[in-house]
Amino acid sequence: MTTLQKASREGPGGAARLLRYLGMPIFLGLACLALYLYISSKELDSIEQRNINAEVIIQQTARLVQLAAVSTVIVVILAVTAGILLTRPLTRRVTPAIVGIANIGQAVPSIGLLALFALTWDFGFWPAIVALVAYSFLSILRNTMVGLQQVDRSTIEAARGMGMTKMAVLFRIELPLAVPIILAGVRTALIINVGTATLGTFIGAGGLGEMINNALRLGRYDTVLIVGSGLVAILALFIDWLGSVAEDILRPRGL
Amino acid sequence: MTDRATEEQNRQTAETMIRLENLSKVFPGQDEPAVDDLSMEIYEGEIVVLVGPSGCGKTTTMKMINRIIEPTSGKIFLEGEDVTKANPDNLRRRIGYVIQQIGLFPHMTIADNIATVPRMLGWDKKRISDRVDELLETVGIDPSYRERYPKELSGGQRQRIGVARAMAADPPVMLMDEPFGAVDPITRDRLQDEFLRLQGEIRKTIVFVTHDIDEAIKMGDRIAILKQHSKIAQYDTPERILTNPADEFVQDFIGSGPSIKRLSLSRISDIETADWPVARLTDGHQHVREKVQNSSRDYVLLLDDRDQPRRWVSIEDIEHGDIPLEETGWPAVAIVEANSSLYNTLDTMITSYKGSAIVVDEEGRYQGVVDFETVLEVINAMRPPEQERHMRPPEQEQPRERTERDLRAGGGGP
Repeated sequence: MTTLQKASREGPGGAARLLRYLGMPIFLGLACLALYLYISSKELDSIEQRNINAEVIIQQTARLVQLAAVSTVIVVILAVTAGILLTRPLTRRVTPAIVGIANIGQAVPSIGLLALFALTWDFGFWPAIVALVAYSFLSILRNTMVGLQQVDRSTIEAARGMGMTKMAVLFRIELPLAVPIILAGVRTALIINVGTATLGTFIGAGGLGEMINNALRLGRYDTVLIVGSGLVAILALFIDWLGSVAEDILRPRGL
Repeated sequence: MTDRATEEQNRQTAETMIRLENLSKVFPGQDEPAVDDLSMEIYEGEIVVLVGPSGCGKTTTMKMINRIIEPTSGKIFLEGEDVTKANPDNLRRRIGYVIQQIGLFPHMTIADNIATVPRMLGWDKKRISDRVDELLETVGIDPSYRERYPKELSGGQRQRIGVARAMAADPPVMLMDEPFGAVDPITRDRLQDEFLRLQGEIRKTIVFVTHDIDEAIKMGDRIAILKQHSKIAQYDTPERILTNPADEFVQDFIGSGPSIKRLSLSRISDIETADWPVARLTDGHQHVREKVQNSSRDYVLLLDDRDQPRRWVSIEDIEHGDIPLEETGWPAVAIVEANSSLYNTLDTMITSYKGSAIVVDEEGRYQGVVDFETVLEVINAMRPPEQERHMRPPEQEQPRERTERDLRAGGGGP
């Protein structure tokens, strides 16, 4: 938190920045409260009670977060590594091919990708994770590559000229300078993954998608559907907010 | 001039710091070599300027010394040691490197930027911190800038930090690729002066690349004028290049007005300043009057309590004893620093009121006065003997205006 405080202290508009940090969580808290008050005012039948209760909500929300988080961690590790490797001079020749494959991953509709993995492999959590990774791979890969390529050549030349090894240049110069752009890609991937993970219910991966799906099948639109889709939206906005805070904190100072 | 002569003698006995032997570079996919069979020696403690038209291979040549560009063939010796196949990273830590774009690391503080090489060499924290302070002082940047980031600095300040960073681990050799190319002309002039002053103390061996012949003349102890493929057209002191261009190419490259350019080579500190009566603002009118009367001059120079020249006062000015000394006479303008070139001094004199220039030291303290006659004597001494002068092409005796324009244009062909 000290970094956060430092970041908010420096530069003009400290108050505006504080509002940006706190505004979104306050808004989302109010949205949760509104959802709760709305449901409390309704008479719920037994089907609705089975779908909307604390235990189910917590369990399904946790599952959705788990799907998005695990897939994002995996895709960050894989795609950033791939991005680094594909921007090295040695791999210049295979770069277009790999980027092409990553493109296919994103070009296929997400539900189709999920179904594909379920049919060829299995139903459940891990096939969903693999599908999510494949689906969001491109956004991080591309941002990593762009982030590394936009680093000023003269900065790298100065570093090499002073006797930094290639590894040192990568970790001390190139990656730190690429961090803002890589993080933007990670944030995009997180949002994609929260949205797509909702579809995970169709291949038995669980999550809040289940609540939405149930509501649609059972025709409980003004209760179960509102809670399910409302919670997914709140969760997505919250994760996006986390991403923006992370961007601010992790962006190297001086840029 | 005598200073330069002894310096030259010292160089004759100086150790060779860098030796390039039959160095060639052919870039992949090109038929013509960028550098073709270049051999040259650079002595310890001198500034060698590689100058030539764009595309002549001067930057490629320089970058082969620290092997940012690997030579296709030939050998590089540093302090007598063959480093052609040595570990390039270790080699580069012994060579300071300054490029035109400076290449400061934007995400690191000024202190961290400067500490780059010392950290790689494993210095302890205390030593690094002391060194950073020392270097900031050397390049004239306040130590309070330590924790700032490059984007908070002006172009000139960044350039100074770039130089400080290159000097951090006290490398014997520095490579500078158009280091002052990206700053405005006024800042460039100041940075050049500062750097020359600094070099007077640190005595590094410096390879300096530029396309600007005037910068080369100003900065270089020796200048290598390069043609296409880095072929050396002439490698000699600025004086000899200006007085004895080896061939037409060199002559064209120097451009017109080589004689005027030679004035850039002499500093006021090389010539004798005239004796001039001075008094202080705090002295009484009577004292000042006596000063003028006892000297052969018509007027006296008044200094303030910090020895800075303030006013010229003639005997008529103090006849009216009621005007305070600070307001009599006329203000002391046309002030030049002791390390200014005669070219700048002459320029100042021509535009000044009385045709003489006041010489001050770095802190602006009075040192002496140079008058027009003294400079004329120096110019006379520079002139070639009668006979030789008749053979010079007439274009070299052009009026001053034209020459200055050419100088500003960067010394292209006439």
